[in-house]
Amino acid sequence: MTTAVQPQGGGGGMVDRPSSSSLADVLDTILDKGLVIDAYVRVSLVGIELLTIDARVVVASVDTYLRFAEAVGRLNIEQDKESLPELVGDLNEGGAQHKSKGAVKGALDAAGEKARDALGGDDRERHRERRSRKED
Amino acid sequence: MTDAVYVYGIVSADTAPPRDHAGIGDPPAKVQTLKSGDVAALVSPIDARTPLGRKEDLLAHQRLLDAVAADGPVLPLTFGAALTDPDAVVGELLEPNRDDFVRALDELRGRAEYMVTARYVQEAVLGEVLDEHPELAELRDSIAGRPEELTHQDRIRLGEGINAAVSAKREHDTRALADVVRPHVVQAVVREPAHELDAARIAVLAEVDAEEKLTGSLAQVARDWHGRAEIRVRGPLAPYDFVTTVR
Repeated sequence: MTTAVQPQGGGGGMVDRPSSSSLADVLDTILDKGLVIDAYVRVSLVGIELLTIDARVVVASVDTYLRFAEAVGRLNIEQDKESLPELVGDLNEGGAQHKSKGAVKGALDAAGEKARDALGGDDRERHRERRSRKED
Repeated sequence: MTDAVYVYGIVSADTAPPRDHAGIGDPPAKVQTLKSGDVAALVSPIDARTPLGRKEDLLAHQRLLDAVAADGPVLPLTFGAALTDPDAVVGELLEPNRDDFVRALDELRGRAEYMVTARYVQEAVLGEVLDEHPELAELRDSIAGRPEELTHQDRIRLGEGINAAVSAKREHDTRALADVVRPHVVQAVVREPAHELDAARIAVLAEVDAEEKLTGSLAQVARDWHGRAEIRVRGPLAPYDFVTTVR
């Protein structure tokens, strides 16, 4: 193989070259593509039971819609987080100017929690996201 | 107990079974070739009473075929093909279809399949969608403050709108990516999305010698799409999307 594996997730705009196929890659390839043997062979065919394999994701379903809705809800939180440095800056001016990095980080975390609280139940949502995320 | 012959694919008779790839089964069976004139079948013995479809079996089937495809042409068979014995493989599969197989293998010489996929970065693509569809952003905001049990219908409506917008993007980006690879490939086939964040899935048949041109053209797109979609190329693979059974 002439495959060169590029660092995953590193660097900007690289083309990822995985060195071998994952199960997800395999499932939608060898189960319904390639030559079908019973078009060539009749008499000596052996019917072997195939374990039920259905890993195909239904792309447009209510599940998908709810996942998307949840994801844009979280996007809102992400955007709030982006504006947090301003808030931290304010805190610094308010007398805490030369505090250690740890304190600034503490303020960030606290503000982050507040943003999550305001939007409600983020932990639960995150848990659900993990559960429903499909294997790649 | 081995009472059937599993068939992976068809190759030219001078193809050696890859030594470093075992076949399906537990323990993995040794892969051999059965020849008839200019063609051969890649096979291994299996127990016909054991159901097939373990993860290891699926991976072994594809990895074996892909390893062979890296060195020469191969006609891949769909997973799960088995015949009663070696004589049946030669007498019923290879001999009656030999000319057909030879022709197809000749056509594939020097070529292999590459699977080009692009996957959206969720935050980025959803951000694009909200920017382009203010009505969806508004709907999102109207849901944010209300209790979950009261917003079920609205959330479905929101998700449906986002899905439609992402689908339109996918169609557009798939076409764009296909246009980029087309000059470097023999054939291209668009596969259905397998995941809601798929930006494109294109199987291409390319000259193995043109691989660098193909990946080079994709690297340019990867730079353009940096942060919004990730591009992946797998290959050389057996030409799963480009061999068909004509009855």
